Amino acid sequence: MNQTSRLRVENLNVFYGQNHVLKNISLSLPDNRITVIIGPSGCGKTTLLRSLNRLLDEQEGVRVEGRVFLDGQDIYQPGVDITLVRKRMGLLSQKPQVLPMSIYDNVAFGPRLLGLRDRRHLDDLVEKYLRLAGLWEEVKGRLQEPASRLSIGQQQRLCLARGLAVEPEVILGDEPTSALDPQSSRNVETQLLNLKENYTIVLVTHILRQARRLADYVAFLYFGELIEFGPASEVLISPRDSRTRAYITGEIS
Amino acid sequence: MNNEPERGIQRKLRKRLRVESFFKLLMAASTWLVLASLVLILAIILWKSLPALKLSMITRNPGSGYYLGREGGILNAILGSLQVVFGATLLALAIALPAVVFLTSYLRQKSWLAELIRFSLDVLWGIPSIVYGAFGFLIMITFHLRASLLAGMITVAMVELPILSRALEETIRLVPSDLKEATYSLGASRWQTATRVVLRQVFPGLVTAVLMAMGRGLGDAAAVLFTAGYTDKITTSLLQPVATLPLAIFFQLNSPFPEVQQRAYASAAILTVLVLFISLASRRLSRRLGRHKIS
Repeated sequence: MNQTSRLRVENLNVFYGQNHVLKNISLSLPDNRITVIIGPSGCGKTTLLRSLNRLLDEQEGVRVEGRVFLDGQDIYQPGVDITLVRKRMGLLSQKPQVLPMSIYDNVAFGPRLLGLRDRRHLDDLVEKYLRLAGLWEEVKGRLQEPASRLSIGQQQRLCLARGLAVEPEVILGDEPTSALDPQSSRNVETQLLNLKENYTIVLVTHILRQARRLADYVAFLYFGELIEFGPASEVLISPRDSRTRAYITGEIS
Repeated sequence: MNNEPERGIQRKLRKRLRVESFFKLLMAASTWLVLASLVLILAIILWKSLPALKLSMITRNPGSGYYLGREGGILNAILGSLQVVFGATLLALAIALPAVVFLTSYLRQKSWLAELIRFSLDVLWGIPSIVYGAFGFLIMITFHLRASLLAGMITVAMVELPILSRALEETIRLVPSDLKEATYSLGASRWQTATRVVLRQVFPGLVTAVLMAMGRGLGDAAAVLFTAGYTDKITTSLLQPVATLPLAIFFQLNSPFPEVQQRAYASAAILTVLVLFISLASRRLSRRLGRHKIS
């Protein structure tokens, strides 16, 4: 693996109260590739993803030990500006969460947080990122409508555009197509494939076929342990661990 | 003989149906009682106030004759009540809103401080308004204030504060945590999340809560009894006493003269219409303002 990784996890342990949900995870996520985290439900996939941009901190009763490096900086160090860390990672959640404002304002939200006020500049950004998310043609005539009126598939692409507008380096996706119909899912997948050239993408999914379509690298989690991590061709086709094989062949789920 | 168990089942079924219809009837009766009492109250107030309900009631101050006027209107009390309640609601909102944002967005929901704040609000909610009135009276004495618009506002604000805070907290707590997380993951701070997203999402609920508190403050007599004073003129300064509708009703009803008592019912009708208007407005507004709200 001659891959550079700006995002690295080292000896990560996460506890929910007494529950040890992530056990000593170490992982380097390759730049400009799609890494897919697979595993049975409840194995800690989402927890791992949420530890990457410290969204775990927002939950109550969670304890995190270990380190997550972003460009060599441990984001769990005290004194790290958490908002700056998050700004560098876009997040797509299971159910798209549009903000209670217009389509335009949703995309402009991030740039405005950074103090951008110039209307023409904002117009350009909104168009650019809606195009990048493959949504521009569908919404260009109704940018001022409430975002909640979009179909759920469009909402997820709007969330993608909104995340991209903050100019992150990493895109995190927590089963981003699970609430979408097949057509919209394909659409979002296509956008992700187009985007990996410029972004490091980490996806959680429980759909093996989706992992096959998208993954360059695969991490298999089982009961909080990282069982196997490597190029998709190896992990999905000739896994080394028997548990991975059992999961991939559908014996455990 | 074979039919014996069959018949037993039939009997049980029939009994169940009877029980069902009996309790259904009971519940329906209670529902109608609620509706009937509303209609009855409105009808009686209107009936009793009919002789005194003239346009001058709402366009003029009390005229001469008796202390509370046998002619003229209660414009002073209508305006006074509105003055008190607007000021009080603004005051209460200025305290409740930051407190609730702090409570819901900054504190861990199960921390002792959050629990303590919620518990205090519940206790404050339960305190009868006459106690706030007495408390306001003490404040007045301490600061050598006379019964005045300002003292009335402060006291009514105390009555409204727990109502407003609790209602705000309920609406803000209903904001999905996913929405907040989506905002955080765009690099927004807690402050930015609260002000730009959460308050926007709950804006209709916020308006409803404010209007609810206003309705409550408008009708409260005990809070203004010692603190706002009474006057037959329109109040133009924070330090002058102010007339209020609940007290207008109270004083007029206490009068031995039937004409003045009729005016009490007219005042009650006007107060009821005002409160009714506020609840209708809050319904319409919350629907209209919910345009951007995500569900």
